[in-house]
Amino acid sequence: MYLTVSNVTKRFGTFTALDDVSISIEQGEFVCLLGPSGCGKTTLLRLIAGLTDIDSGTVSLENEVLTDLPARQRGFGIVFQSYSLFPSMTVAENIGYGLKIRNAPPTQISARVAELLEIVKLPHLADKFPGQLSGGQQQRIALARAIAVDPRVLLLDEPLSALDAKVRGSLRDEIKQLQRTLKIPTLMVTHDQEEALALADKIICMNHGVVVQAGTPEDLYHRPATRFVADFMGVSNLVSTDVIRREMPTLLEGRPGAPDDQFDACIRPEKIGLMADADGAATVRSVGFLGNLTRYKLDSVLGDLVVESHGALGVKEGQKVSLQIAPSDCIWVANDGPEVSE
Amino acid sequence: MSVATSQRAAVKKGFWLDSDKLLAAACIAIPLIGLTLFFLYPMGVVFLRSLTVPDGSYGLGNYAEVLSSKGFWRATQHSMTMGVATTVVSVFLGFIIAHGLHRCAFRGKWLIRGVIVLPLLAPSLVQALGLIFLLGRNGLVSRAIGMELDIYGFWGLLIANTLYALPQAVMIIGASLVLLDARTYEAAEVMGAKPMRQFRDLTLPAIFFALLNSAFVVFIITITDFGNAAVIGGDYSVLATEIYTQVIGLRNFNMGAVVGIMLLLPTVVSYYIERQSMKRQQGRHATNVQKFVPSFYPNRDIPMAAACFAVVAMILSVIGVVIYASFVKLWPYNHGLTFKHFDITLAGGYASLWITIAISLGAAAGGTVLIFIMALGLRKLSGGLAQAVQVLAAMPAAVPGIVLGLAYILTFNSTATPLYLLYGTATLIAVINFYHYHTQAFLTVMTGFRQFPTALEEAASTLGAGYGRTAVTVVAPFVAPMLIAVFFFLFMRSMVTLSAVVFLTTAKLDVAAVTIMRLDDAGLTSQAAAFSTCVMAVVCLALGVMKLGLKLMSRSPKVVVGG
Repeated sequence: MYLTVSNVTKRFGTFTALDDVSISIEQGEFVCLLGPSGCGKTTLLRLIAGLTDIDSGTVSLENEVLTDLPARQRGFGIVFQSYSLFPSMTVAENIGYGLKIRNAPPTQISARVAELLEIVKLPHLADKFPGQLSGGQQQRIALARAIAVDPRVLLLDEPLSALDAKVRGSLRDEIKQLQRTLKIPTLMVTHDQEEALALADKIICMNHGVVVQAGTPEDLYHRPATRFVADFMGVSNLVSTDVIRREMPTLLEGRPGAPDDQFDACIRPEKIGLMADADGAATVRSVGFLGNLTRYKLDSVLGDLVVESHGALGVKEGQKVSLQIAPSDCIWVANDGPEVSE
Repeated sequence: MSVATSQRAAVKKGFWLDSDKLLAAACIAIPLIGLTLFFLYPMGVVFLRSLTVPDGSYGLGNYAEVLSSKGFWRATQHSMTMGVATTVVSVFLGFIIAHGLHRCAFRGKWLIRGVIVLPLLAPSLVQALGLIFLLGRNGLVSRAIGMELDIYGFWGLLIANTLYALPQAVMIIGASLVLLDARTYEAAEVMGAKPMRQFRDLTLPAIFFALLNSAFVVFIITITDFGNAAVIGGDYSVLATEIYTQVIGLRNFNMGAVVGIMLLLPTVVSYYIERQSMKRQQGRHATNVQKFVPSFYPNRDIPMAAACFAVVAMILSVIGVVIYASFVKLWPYNHGLTFKHFDITLAGGYASLWITIAISLGAAAGGTVLIFIMALGLRKLSGGLAQAVQVLAAMPAAVPGIVLGLAYILTFNSTATPLYLLYGTATLIAVINFYHYHTQAFLTVMTGFRQFPTALEEAASTLGAGYGRTAVTVVAPFVAPMLIAVFFFLFMRSMVTLSAVVFLTTAKLDVAAVTIMRLDDAGLTSQAAAFSTCVMAVVCLALGVMKLGLKLMSRSPKVVVGG
């Protein structure tokens, strides 16, 4: 364990932002904190940075306890959503600021600044002021400023959210490449599951101030632990146990032995096969062509279903169809309430 | 469609286009004529009069005479010394209070916010009166310590001017502190910067232009102020009182004009630098800022709170003592309470208060309408002409009130033009009050107009609304909060201003601030205090009405307050 957060609780008045949260980051790992707004992910990042006080619990780095250490003594780097460059300093002065505080000699600072400007591919902007840059350029400079001091941990607070789609995509790739090269342990907060899937070695999915599930992107997508994770990570068909028992009892095979209302079935849309069948258990309500795949919405004995396939399945709107679902494709997820829905 | 109908349609369309253009032209022309007649022309006259030598020909004789007189150099030196001293003290205190309000954590900030603007609600000579009641020969402090303090002169004037200029400094510096983004401080914190370092590297550069700006504003206010200097200056003559002496005391209008032009020079230069630095400051800031919420830090916040409340106590005591003195039977011997000083014995009594209220209402209403149509006209105007109009509209702020007043008496007390008809009327006083404060009013309304989305106007005209209808039904409601603010700004300034109107009052027509000065001159200090109390009551009432009005508007679902 490199960075460890243990049993951290944080309240704002009567609102509990974080409730006994524990997470960890390995050396060189890229971790994403993923969750809807208000789930406590930004609060957790700010606690780790030292920008917000902790009510109870500890934050430690290797064997050093950081909990009461002021932010400026932690040696971290941070990038905010936007607007955090110092407006009265040039790009070069912004990047060199951390080194200047550490009393590095001017020649070393300018060498490091030049090196970082090369890394973020903006060497021509050294003497510009932040107000003269585009949003994407500002975020690249903010990134360069954060890594200039070789931070022990890099913290990214929704760094891509304020950018437009195209810039977001290219900066996302650059952040990933940079992190892989420099191997700085990185914690990024995001509400965008696609971003988390693309970047993270490990995703920590949060809701209502608690960690719901932590694991690799593949884990979270293919083996969601709860209804919330299943729904937040992509599209899923969630069906209650009693319906499955009545209509498709074969799917009960992998179900943990627990009362009916504690687990629901989760079937990803690409795992359902359709076949035209006049006695079928479902009716095609609509067919949506999305280019590389086709999305079908069905009325079925299991309720409303979404099915996706690459290439056409040769069924039309209004047609009766039968459903094919392998028991191994039916994942049983803990019922943590009727959470988010698309 | 027959040829005849299409022709009629064309004629009708052409007619509407023309009426819109005509309206837009009128919107620019009327305020421009006003500015020319009541600002440019009088300023030209004062300039010419400064060049008119006693035999009626033009020459630099007056300037030579003024420049060789000891009195002028003494007044100039005094004005500059006073200006610099007041600027240093006011900017320093202003910074402390603004920093305390916006970047420190302590209780009772509402009190500071409330008290700090009080000096703006009173005629400037109220500070001087208050200081005399506190520190003068019969002042509370002097009697308490049993020693006669000499408050008349440099020190008294310095304190009075500082109290008067402080609100402006606090507002300008505070406005720039509000714009600082909390996230930049967090970034600096994570990078390892200590609080002092953050202050030096982030706060100071960001507010540098605001400090510069406030310095120039305070300097202008100080060297052009007349009321404080007249009441508490004593023998410490400054340029503003020098003009008054030349004109009223010695009836030497041309020499007054020369001193006026000399006073104009430093003000214009300061004003120009201030405008330039303002532009640079505006270009630097992002619009979407995260508000900084300070947390309590005893080593910083306790001394800052103490300093802020000390200044607040000073302002409160200076203004409070004026109100108190107006109720005291015989200052300083009998502290029993009475209303007798409110029975003004000077000829005219309260007539000047009522007429001042009427004048102020007139200046506020007329001024708001003129500024509104000028801003409307500017929307249809572009290029060099628009720029010229904007520059002209921003010029009056550079002219000291006493110089503008002198320009008016030279222009309107001359039978050479029909404008003479205005001389000695309340209308002319309303006019000078409006043009004296033209710039601030204009800039406020322009801020509102800049937030007005062009799309709204285009939508209205697509729906068939003419220019006039759009202005009244779409534009006016949008900028209404600014118009209300400008109306009350003009009203309140007109209620308390002294320097611009001091030359325009006559035996028959007096205004409130001049009455206070006369009462004080006549030795009726308690009555001067009573009269000041009445003026402050009216202004506070107006401020209350304005706050209430703006609050009601922001609650009303019909109005979207821009910002």
